[in-house]
Amino acid sequence: MQLSRMRSRYSRRDVLRLGGATLGGLTLPRLLAGAGGGSVRSCLIFFQTGGLCQHDSFDPKPEAPREIRGGFAAIPTAVPGVRFSELLPRSAASFRHFSVIRSMYSLEAIHEKAKQYAFSGQRPNNAYKHPVYGSVLARELGSRNGLPPFVVIPRKDICADAGFLGSAFDPFVAGDPAKEGYSVQDLTLPTGLGLEESLGRARLLSALDSRLEALEKSDVIGSMDHFYQKALDLVGSPAAKRAFDLGAEPDKLRDDYGRTTAGQGALLARRLVEAGVRLVTVFHGGYDTHTDNDDRNEALYPEFDQAFSTLLEDMGSRGLLDTTLVLAMGEFGRTPEINHSAGRDHWPGVFSIAAAGAGVPGGQVIGSSDALGAEPAERPVSIEDLGATVYRKLGVDSHKEYHASGRPIRINDGGEPVGELFS
Amino acid sequence: MFAAAWMAVAWSASAEMPALRILPADIRFQSPGHSQRIVIPGGSHCSIESSDPAIVRADSGTLLARSPGRTRIRATCREGSAEADVRVGESESPLGIGFERDILSVLTTKGCNSSACHGSPAGQNGFKLSLYGSDPRQDHAMIVTQGDGRRVSLAAPEASLLLAKPTFRTAHGGGQLMTEDSDEHATLLEWLRQGAPYGAQGVRLERLELHPAENVLRGAGREQEVVATGRLSDGTTLDLTAQVRWSVEDEAVAKVDTAGRTVAGAPGMTTVTARAMGKAATAQFIVTADGDNRALRFPEPANFIDEHVFRTLRMVGLEPFPVSDDPTFLRRAHLDAAGVLPSPAEAEAFLADDGRERRSALIDSLLEREEHATHWLVKFEDWFRNSQYFSQGRTNGAFKRWLHDSIREDRPYDETVRAMLTAQGDTTVHPAGNFWHPAIDFMLKTFEVEKAVPTITRLFLGQRLECAQCHNHPLENLTQDDFYGLAAFLARTKVKHGYGQYRRVWYDDWRGEIHHPVTGRRVAPQFLGGERPVIPEGRTRRQILAHWITRTERMQFARATVNRVWHEYFGRGIVEPFDDFRSTNRATHPELLDALAEHFIDSGFRFKALHRLILNSKTYQLAAHAPGRAGGEHPLEDALFARRAPRKLPAEVLLDAISQVTGVPEEFRNYPPGTSPKELIASLSPSYFLTTFGRPRRDIMEARSNAPSLSQALQLMNGDVLTKRIRGDGLVLDEWLAAGLTDEQIVDSIYARALSRRPDPRERSALQAYLRSEAAAGRSRRQGLANLLWAVLNTKEFQLSL
Repeated sequence: MQLSRMRSRYSRRDVLRLGGATLGGLTLPRLLAGAGGGSVRSCLIFFQTGGLCQHDSFDPKPEAPREIRGGFAAIPTAVPGVRFSELLPRSAASFRHFSVIRSMYSLEAIHEKAKQYAFSGQRPNNAYKHPVYGSVLARELGSRNGLPPFVVIPRKDICADAGFLGSAFDPFVAGDPAKEGYSVQDLTLPTGLGLEESLGRARLLSALDSRLEALEKSDVIGSMDHFYQKALDLVGSPAAKRAFDLGAEPDKLRDDYGRTTAGQGALLARRLVEAGVRLVTVFHGGYDTHTDNDDRNEALYPEFDQAFSTLLEDMGSRGLLDTTLVLAMGEFGRTPEINHSAGRDHWPGVFSIAAAGAGVPGGQVIGSSDALGAEPAERPVSIEDLGATVYRKLGVDSHKEYHASGRPIRINDGGEPVGELFS
Repeated sequence: MFAAAWMAVAWSASAEMPALRILPADIRFQSPGHSQRIVIPGGSHCSIESSDPAIVRADSGTLLARSPGRTRIRATCREGSAEADVRVGESESPLGIGFERDILSVLTTKGCNSSACHGSPAGQNGFKLSLYGSDPRQDHAMIVTQGDGRRVSLAAPEASLLLAKPTFRTAHGGGQLMTEDSDEHATLLEWLRQGAPYGAQGVRLERLELHPAENVLRGAGREQEVVATGRLSDGTTLDLTAQVRWSVEDEAVAKVDTAGRTVAGAPGMTTVTARAMGKAATAQFIVTADGDNRALRFPEPANFIDEHVFRTLRMVGLEPFPVSDDPTFLRRAHLDAAGVLPSPAEAEAFLADDGRERRSALIDSLLEREEHATHWLVKFEDWFRNSQYFSQGRTNGAFKRWLHDSIREDRPYDETVRAMLTAQGDTTVHPAGNFWHPAIDFMLKTFEVEKAVPTITRLFLGQRLECAQCHNHPLENLTQDDFYGLAAFLARTKVKHGYGQYRRVWYDDWRGEIHHPVTGRRVAPQFLGGERPVIPEGRTRRQILAHWITRTERMQFARATVNRVWHEYFGRGIVEPFDDFRSTNRATHPELLDALAEHFIDSGFRFKALHRLILNSKTYQLAAHAPGRAGGEHPLEDALFARRAPRKLPAEVLLDAISQVTGVPEEFRNYPPGTSPKELIASLSPSYFLTTFGRPRRDIMEARSNAPSLSQALQLMNGDVLTKRIRGDGLVLDEWLAAGLTDEQIVDSIYARALSRRPDPRERSALQAYLRSEAAAGRSRRQGLANLLWAVLNTKEFQLSL
């Protein structure tokens, strides 16, 4: 029955009104000044597939009854008065690097729809599939240094694709860097094949393809050709090879991140944004805790905690936080009340996300949830608002319109950048 | 030898004369004073006469009812004439809107009575509704009389709080839920104007119709008026053109105004929808470029498929591409019907046969091949989600074999479906029961009725019922009662786990009920549409459901099935998406769909007859492009099946084709060498190649993706599947070299195996130049030829079925 939450509970006007107090004094020039001024080049999203539990992470409710607050205590953070769950001790200590929004809400309660919403900033509908952030950035900003502009780690998610922009803007799948002997599939020429030899056969291939290309104008041909050209570029790019080579990192740092998909994924993501990828998403699964919430989170959240805190320290020391927007988020939260299977179910009513880099102030809590962690109490932030924030930070005009299904479609519809994230 | 077949085809340019009809049919005015607009599709310069103007007067396109009685009207047009009976009644009964039927539906679809809003135990701000309308009388009282009656103002309905809140004219914690020009708002307002009754006073709107339902506009700026007519519960008709809310799916193709006047834009196809009081109707619009009127050329129709497809193309003024040449047809038919490439020997035999029936003879032989059954088996496994994601290898294998046999023996599909729907017993022994496995909750090991219901309607009736699980579907007349009524047929279906969690036994218990999630009441088994069957002694509820789907609803069952098969051959359904039949999603060729469905029923639900029919049609055999006419430039070509839309080979077929051309089989762990990927019992056996080229996990009900990707390009370029073959042992090239073939013979052999044709002169010179340059670079003859083979296998042409 959580579907009931899908209805638009907060209209644009509501949000403006509710948010008025906290938005106070934020003028357009200040918003623009915070827009990164073109220096923000990339976005890194650590995605908690299944939905991070607000109670067990950034928004503990120690005063609530046991069946609400769950089995974990609240601990102090680097900022006096702000407490996180004890499952995130390192993030609590690194809080000076990032902001937390405790009043995010979604309008979708099914994974597929909620993910599509969260990945794109646009509510899913039956008429067309909206491209996700990575696909829009790929289209608007293009690639740098011959690298694919949009990369996902470790594997693709069916909800994270280019939608109506077409598969040309779909993400490149990097694989799982936590696996033994990791390398990106097919990125290098087969051993023994010289560059000159490979170029020769590629030239023959274009000559052979030209016959069909003259006669066939359908999308499938254009799309196949696009990817073939991209593949040629990628294989010929030394920067690409270096970017994907995790072996170039010191063992100590790799250990610090954690030898998990979350940890090595975050490290690879850092290398990729460093090399020029526009948007990297690391999918970290296991958050869909319909049963045994506490046991599962006790094992899972430390993986995130370690990877995320190390990532921010590492990026900070390299100056990458100046040029990269980092988000840690899931598609929704988890139910305030623990269910009969000791689990927590889907809860779009309110959830918490973390944001860092690209001028986002550190140590800041934006908005709040009610006493149960069930609804925003102050400053509700919508998925559309987050979308507008991503585009503003990356310098993409979110009012720009695409044309699909015969209608103009805005890149972002109805969102306002979250002012507090622009210092 | 590579004679172009399309040149031998006799072109037919005859256009048939359509019979004219006056629409809407069966006009029955409630009483004098009403008017009704009429249309005569296909008629131009029509004059309308009434045989008794005292009863009904005809005034250009409008009929005016003047006194009770019955008369005939006649339309005389340039194209012919048509007549219709029109009746005028004597009693006036307005369209009534009731709380229970109409208003609750608005409140529910807008979420007003959900648990997060006014349906919560405490309500919101003093306004409380029963959850999802479980107590309509109480809700009616709450809205109309309680709260000091401040929620409705019968004296000034527009000022009612009931309208001001959801439109956000007044601050509303739930936000803006509707606009003032929405159908919901109009329904609420009209209800208030009628005095906000609990039950409807007057007649009901039962159905909405749009005429003309199918329209072709030649060139931007052309117009067509669409008439919306309501069929009322007292048997009368009412012109609602000015009352309905109009919208168009694709505003680039056409725009519609508030009076139903539709104006053409860019070429394409779109749907105009009218909505009123929770009902909807659609009209299709095809907009063509401003065409010249030259005589279009059509191939001689091979069967009724062509007659339907060509009739539409003629109407639209779009000439189909010519029938493809023999080599193209040969390769396409092999890939589509059997999932394999033709061998050079097969190609030679086919092209040497100069009999007029050689294509149909080839089709017959392909359909009898083992590879045909194996190829369609993969599609069946996709449909029925046979995957170790849900079941263990042993039962996967049993289900796979059972499906395989059903295809090989061409068992009637209705029997196959009934066997699955009613399956009982251990699924290793009675494999049909595997059909239910995707609906098992993996953790709880219980059968989840809610997962099974939408799967069944989508697979067998082409209807998506997912939405109705949580709320009534306003436009499709699908309600939560429909969902749970259908679920009740499965309430006694149970599963036991034994011998490890994968061994499963299905049985029908003698008890077990479904309870409505809102009212909590027990739900009786009820078919879509409301009929409640009696379950005879000795029959299971599932047997009654299976009978209803495959026998009572056999026409829709057949439509949904043939549309799936059509989608497999043409890349899109006649209804598209192919499993989303609804009143607002029109078929491009509704009559063809019905004719195919009837054919399928008449042939005893046997697929082979359907395959044969499709493969033999000229529509299927059309070329993708023609000399001087590139394919894929006009948006309607593919939508109306005016040509072959080239399609990427599915993952399994592509991998088999690579093995076939190179002569090096693929190896899968735990399977003997030479096992085709189509034969894998564990459908998720690790294979980067198959996953990358779109092999689905079969975990959700979605069609497999056929989209190109960067990973696919990299895999063919550098991946081991190709690299190990062209470098390793057993490559067919080594046989040819050993046999002393010349470069030219080897090039011809590669082309024959991979593309079923010979290189054209330009290709030949590029190939020769390449081999010379490889030799000049100091590489061996084998290496140069192996690289050449790599290039051919990397061509788009190889990866496509053209």
